[in-house]
Amino acid sequence: MEHIDADILILGSGGAGLFAAHHAADQNPNLKIIVAAKGLIGKCGCTRMVQGGYNVVLHPDDSMEKHFFDTIKGGGGINDQEMAWTLVNDAPKRIRELETKMGVFFDRNEDGTVHQKPFAGQSFDRTVHKGDLTGIEIISRMRDQLFAKPNVITWDEVRAIDLLVDEDSQKVAGCLMLNIRSGEFIVVHCKAVIVGTGGAATMYKIATPSLEKSGDGMAMCYRAGTDFIDMEMMQFHPTGLLAENSRLNGGVLEEGLRGAGGYLINALGERFMKNYDPEKLERSTRDRVSRAAYMEIMAGRGTPLGGVYIDVSHLGKENVRRMFPGMVERCRDVGKDLSVEPVEISPAAHFHMGGVKVTTNCESNISGLFVSGEDAGGVHGANRLGGNGVCDSTVFGARAGDAAAAYVNNLNSPGKVSEAELNNFINLTLEPFNREEGENPFYIRNALKNLMWEKVGLVRNKRDLEEALLELDTLEKRTNNVSVKGSTKYNLTWQEFLNVRNLITIAKMVTKSALLREESRGSHYREDFPESNDENWLNNVFARKGPDGEPLFWTEKVKQSRMDISKIQGHKIVATVK
Amino acid sequence: MKDVEVTVMRYDPEEGGNPRYETFTVESKKNMTVLDSLFLIVENQDPTLSFRCACRLGMCGSCGMLINGRGRLACRTKIEHLGDQIKVEPMRNMDIIKDLSVNMDKFFKSWEKVKPYFVPKENTDEFSIIPPSSGRREIIDENQDCITCGLCFQSCDTVSLRNGEFIGPAALNRGYTLIADERDGLREERLDMLSETAEGAFGCRTLGACVEVCPKGIKPMVTIQKIKTKKLKKSLGLKW
Repeated sequence: MEHIDADILILGSGGAGLFAAHHAADQNPNLKIIVAAKGLIGKCGCTRMVQGGYNVVLHPDDSMEKHFFDTIKGGGGINDQEMAWTLVNDAPKRIRELETKMGVFFDRNEDGTVHQKPFAGQSFDRTVHKGDLTGIEIISRMRDQLFAKPNVITWDEVRAIDLLVDEDSQKVAGCLMLNIRSGEFIVVHCKAVIVGTGGAATMYKIATPSLEKSGDGMAMCYRAGTDFIDMEMMQFHPTGLLAENSRLNGGVLEEGLRGAGGYLINALGERFMKNYDPEKLERSTRDRVSRAAYMEIMAGRGTPLGGVYIDVSHLGKENVRRMFPGMVERCRDVGKDLSVEPVEISPAAHFHMGGVKVTTNCESNISGLFVSGEDAGGVHGANRLGGNGVCDSTVFGARAGDAAAAYVNNLNSPGKVSEAELNNFINLTLEPFNREEGENPFYIRNALKNLMWEKVGLVRNKRDLEEALLELDTLEKRTNNVSVKGSTKYNLTWQEFLNVRNLITIAKMVTKSALLREESRGSHYREDFPESNDENWLNNVFARKGPDGEPLFWTEKVKQSRMDISKIQGHKIVATVK
Repeated sequence: MKDVEVTVMRYDPEEGGNPRYETFTVESKKNMTVLDSLFLIVENQDPTLSFRCACRLGMCGSCGMLINGRGRLACRTKIEHLGDQIKVEPMRNMDIIKDLSVNMDKFFKSWEKVKPYFVPKENTDEFSIIPPSSGRREIIDENQDCITCGLCFQSCDTVSLRNGEFIGPAALNRGYTLIADERDGLREERLDMLSETAEGAFGCRTLGACVEVCPKGIKPMVTIQKIKTKKLKKSLGLKW
């Protein structure tokens, strides 16, 4: 087994991981920095999959206050206000860095200035974009820029298994890694770890993210003992493409389709949003539009594939093809022409607002462990605005890189790896090879996806959530009985075992938090408590691993450090007209 | 729905020997892609099959393979268009890790050779003013969407014949987009870098496979000719 020393280890190569690498390397070019990803560097993860764009205040008529207000209102008022304020204030710096230092070129207005388009839930048109496939440009240029930084070492297809924490000093000591290609373990001894592996929306039957994502970072942080915030808050994107028997299923049709004036229609041909948000209609926030679509489907007004329709054909064939070429192409893969006909879509699990509780400098409660991007929680509250996702990963990725470099420079005595802990992690990881017969992890994954969709999905209630907890225990036991055949080398079945193990860890936190929050807010909707309750629930739900390995929960009042929530309107869920 | 036969190349270089081909029967359903069929095989028939994918929407370029002899992205290749027998093999011109998974280091080494990173001409934080109607970004816009899937590199016979001594289509295309970017400061150095060595643009034999296979509709061969033209103009002292 190989042992490797480094200053900073970065897990994940999306917007958070790569921005962290750039900033840490810029802070101190003498640091040895390793970026490791489960897939190919810059290719896996979801920043690449960003379509719509990046919310940022650039126009003189816009302001930080407006972007902040929209973010808090969209988040149902329970955002960490310091995080949200940091987000909106750093975004202009990061977008400028992307354009002027990394060579990204965003779309322009006729006069040559940067174009900003309308997005749902925003009081100003502030979404910067590159066509309708913005993420490819952002992540490709960030990846290319790394070739200019020789102190950043990149590891393709090396996944992290578990964080190694020095028990005495409670400092990060390193990380146990697995080279997927060779099937060999690597122990990285390092002073700081930045976690940015992305979320776990892939635990749902219909989901948008990249297939390899499985909440690895969050699950590792849980096992290491970090605090979590608002894990019940899982966003469903309203417009996931329905593709029947293909993994294309759930691929996002971008937010801008609604922003540009697209209609959502049920099987009866009605623009159903008029019954749910008569003022904003389709341009209402993701949580509301998704829930409305789901309720239409449940009420029997769904399409043959169990979805609803998105129709943008009234915008004009040529306009649609010009503005949304990537979306037109995607729909063509299921035999539909978005520019002239309605396309079947469904809400699809998309983004986890909940995550590791961190400071505005991405510090967790373990020294030297930094968490950024989707793995961290708090900034988006109960619902994330479209266009605030890549904003989050780049802003907080950069901050994590800066903070980790500063931490490493000031560190006197690094943590020490415990051999016993290391061996324990390795044995647990290899266990499925010891069983001649056992469970197939892919089948457990499918069961998990169905369970979460049906019982911990867009509409929740106490009975379902309690049943889900019991079933999750069963799935966990099945996972402990997985058998894997063949060698450890590039073994997808073994990788799936590790994925499922992590997903179930996160799923349990999501479900228990959802059970605890007896109200509806943002993406979390309880039919047994269908309205927001600011009196009792202007709270965050926290979780942490307890002595028996199961999570412990507590709640804390939202700190209204920058904005008095009672002053804003429209952040709450009130009973819908039916 | 009907059944199709999916024949997959299996190979582990450490075990040595010759690659072998194994055939699996998969039920073909509407919209199913080659990637879907590989998942069905690993989930239900042979848990040891190795392949790579990530986004499954044609955005990441991780699942390039030879499908019925032609380079394609598995996630965007529908089974229903391929007939009853489908043959899946790893990309050429790269080392096989196992089965369909290749090591893309050769591709990225050549990518690295063109200095693929932006070097700002001016130290500014301001967005440059470039109206779309000016045409100043046209050639870049046509070629910018590369997802580094390696399909052009694996399809290029010049890359094969010269055994890594030709940079290949994608990297030259990237180099050219930077030459064409008026915000970049290394314009002249880049042109010389792309054209003066035996590895560069003049190695292209205009075979055209890169244009045929690119899943993003980029035409690297055309871009490479533009590099040659610029170099000739520069050598003659003309404006380039």
